[in-house]
Amino acid sequence: MTNIDDIINGIDTLKPIPPVAAQIMALAEDENSSMSDIADLIVYDPSITASLLKICNSAYFGLSRKVESVRDAITLLGLDQIVELILLNGTAENFRDEPNGYGLGEGELWHHAVLSAHVAKVLAENHGLANKKHLIFTAALVKDIGKIIMGRFVAFSYEKINILVNSKGYSFNEAEKEVIGMNHEELGALVGEKWRFGKKLIYIIRNHHMSAEACRDDVETAMVYLADIVCMMMGFGTGLDGLAYRFYSDVLNRMNLTDQDLQKTIYDTGERRQKIQKLLNLV
Amino acid sequence: MFPTDMGFEMSNLYVDIKNRSTDIQIQNAPFSVEPVSVMTAVNFSELKISTSTAETLVAFSIGSGIAVSIYDAVTKVGGLLHFVLPDSSKIGSERVNRFPYMFADTGILAFLEALNDINAKTETLKVVIAGGAQILDQAADFNIGLKNCRAITSILSRKNIIIHYEDVGGSSKRALSLDIGSGCNMIQIAGQGEVKV
Repeated sequence: MTNIDDIINGIDTLKPIPPVAAQIMALAEDENSSMSDIADLIVYDPSITASLLKICNSAYFGLSRKVESVRDAITLLGLDQIVELILLNGTAENFRDEPNGYGLGEGELWHHAVLSAHVAKVLAENHGLANKKHLIFTAALVKDIGKIIMGRFVAFSYEKINILVNSKGYSFNEAEKEVIGMNHEELGALVGEKWRFGKKLIYIIRNHHMSAEACRDDVETAMVYLADIVCMMMGFGTGLDGLAYRFYSDVLNRMNLTDQDLQKTIYDTGERRQKIQKLLNLV
Repeated sequence: MFPTDMGFEMSNLYVDIKNRSTDIQIQNAPFSVEPVSVMTAVNFSELKISTSTAETLVAFSIGSGIAVSIYDAVTKVGGLLHFVLPDSSKIGSERVNRFPYMFADTGILAFLEALNDINAKTETLKVVIAGGAQILDQAADFNIGLKNCRAITSILSRKNIIIHYEDVGGSSKRALSLDIGSGCNMIQIAGQGEVKV
């Protein structure tokens, strides 16, 4: 067992999320908020303007005229796109640091986070959860934030974790909990509590591998779980933990997803990947 | 030939060193013509063929997909394919044409054609596959890793091509490389070391 407080103190080493991104996360979860609330928030925040305009004016978007204000950017690219850019910008700094305990290369965790966020958003739109898409996008983006702190503790205890996973039938997050005393889902939820994320966001981070039976009915969590599984199977951001997480067919069955749907999702993700990679270079 | 103005007699060592530097003939050494080794990444749903003996092809981050290495030791050409889905017939043909290397069937077909174009001989091919990892408890119906393994095995056996070595299944991430010069493959299994084939 590692000293739990040592791990939890690691939360303070993370770079804080810019206020505007945090406020958007809160609004995304609030049932009573509307898109115009989010728009107001963005338009009146001077801190994001410069970086946002730079991104919007890059060749990636290929706009025919120059974007000169945030309002312009919203009109030309749509509010959804702008919200996503701000969320990406707000989380990029933490995720670019390599959590080396998980055996990931430079930027791989970040790449995984962004790709799974896009997959989760598309799944949400296809399953009638379009009104929750920013919440689901955010949740998929930050779900592995615990891994950033957990990395060195996992590296230290990797031998033991490896034995549990390879010889005793544990999943990686079960083994983390057994050996270290907590897993990256729980630590991520603690980060969320400390940073005052909304309840639902914390819930999804805490349950994104769906280990607790009670959460398998929750559709929002299911979207994030599925997106994670798709990225894992495609090998994006898969490290030493590999694919050693549990698969719950009942989650897919409940959403009426067949094997063919799963394969289509993988195909779509593959198709979208190159575009997202280009976007990653901008943020 | 001996420098005489250095104030002391030159030893044989000087002669040795002098000769050594001319004997090596750096200008004609093979590495001045070609770099010693070039590593080329073969990404997800890509096929790369190489005839350059200085090149090493590598597929990093193989999950449920499978990397297939095919090498002809006689002509010293080979390639690497990294596909992720077992069957292209489940996806519309227009989309398959955009990403033929994403699928086992269309990918292998294109691979063999490409090898044929550069005169590789089917009889002498060395085939190594790695990947097909599964999520724990993944139900058979959704088990794409397993389906990928079955697809590649049946396609190759239909073409009478023997798989020389395979490392598939489990739940680990893998990487597979092919050194075109030597025909050696390396399979890295995350957390469990490497295998040289």
